Amino acid sequence: MTKKNKIYWSLGVTEKGTRALLTDENSKFKWLRSQRNRRVLVALNMIGIVLVSLGSYYPTLKTNINLDADTEIVIFSVTAIFVIFLTLGAYSYLRVAVRGIADAPDELLDERQIQIRNTSYRYAYLAMGYIVLGLLLLMFFGPELEMFQPDGNDGSYLAIATMFAFAAAPSMILAWRERDI
Amino acid sequence: MLCSMYATSMSRNSEEPVFNQIEEIRTSLGLSRQELADLVGVHYQTIGYLERGEYSPSLVLALRIAQTLNKEVSEVFSLTEPKEGEK
Repeated sequence: MTKKNKIYWSLGVTEKGTRALLTDENSKFKWLRSQRNRRVLVALNMIGIVLVSLGSYYPTLKTNINLDADTEIVIFSVTAIFVIFLTLGAYSYLRVAVRGIADAPDELLDERQIQIRNTSYRYAYLAMGYIVLGLLLLMFFGPELEMFQPDGNDGSYLAIATMFAFAAAPSMILAWRERDI
Repeated sequence: MLCSMYATSMSRNSEEPVFNQIEEIRTSLGLSRQELADLVGVHYQTIGYLERGEYSPSLVLALRIAQTLNKEVSEVFSLTEPKEGEK
């Protein structure tokens, strides 16, 4: 009889999936785990998050391209969806590169892995504190600086980018700091 | 006073390194990192970190490693660098 695959609802992971990442069961992703490649993934994630957040500024960006409003909206929306999916892809690869340690439950990790995961969350908490502070200042001064369109774009892409950052920050820190993972 | 001194020197975040003979004993027993890791219940990278002295184990893990290698804890771990002859 096969063992039931436990689902950790609060972490959004399954036991089998986490175990598969923690071991080298799937060797086709081994190349992702060198420190250099992990750092490249961190950079890609950061670029993705910045690009997604720029979606909120797009309407105020000055361009020399003269398109009618409908075409502009279609191009903007398709580009935004494309960038969001690329960022999601980069985040998925990042999770594989750090063996899903950032999202794994204690019972599936050893004491060193728990220690590095907890350290990464501490740094992520600090980093996100500064990012949220920056966003609050932006919300405060944004209208004065006319950074958002008065009607329409309300900074929702910033919210999506912040969610990406919250989800990816611990894995990004793990990927950047650890020599072997 | 004595208690606080010990509390400081035993901190796992302190700079004081913990030396070990895991690699020497493991290879003499013909065990791979993966095999030792499976026996003590940790990831094989953790064995690598321990062998390089980049991670100091908890008391439970140190005891488990010593037991698995069939040695006393003091034979595997020490606060001073083992002399050449002991290696």
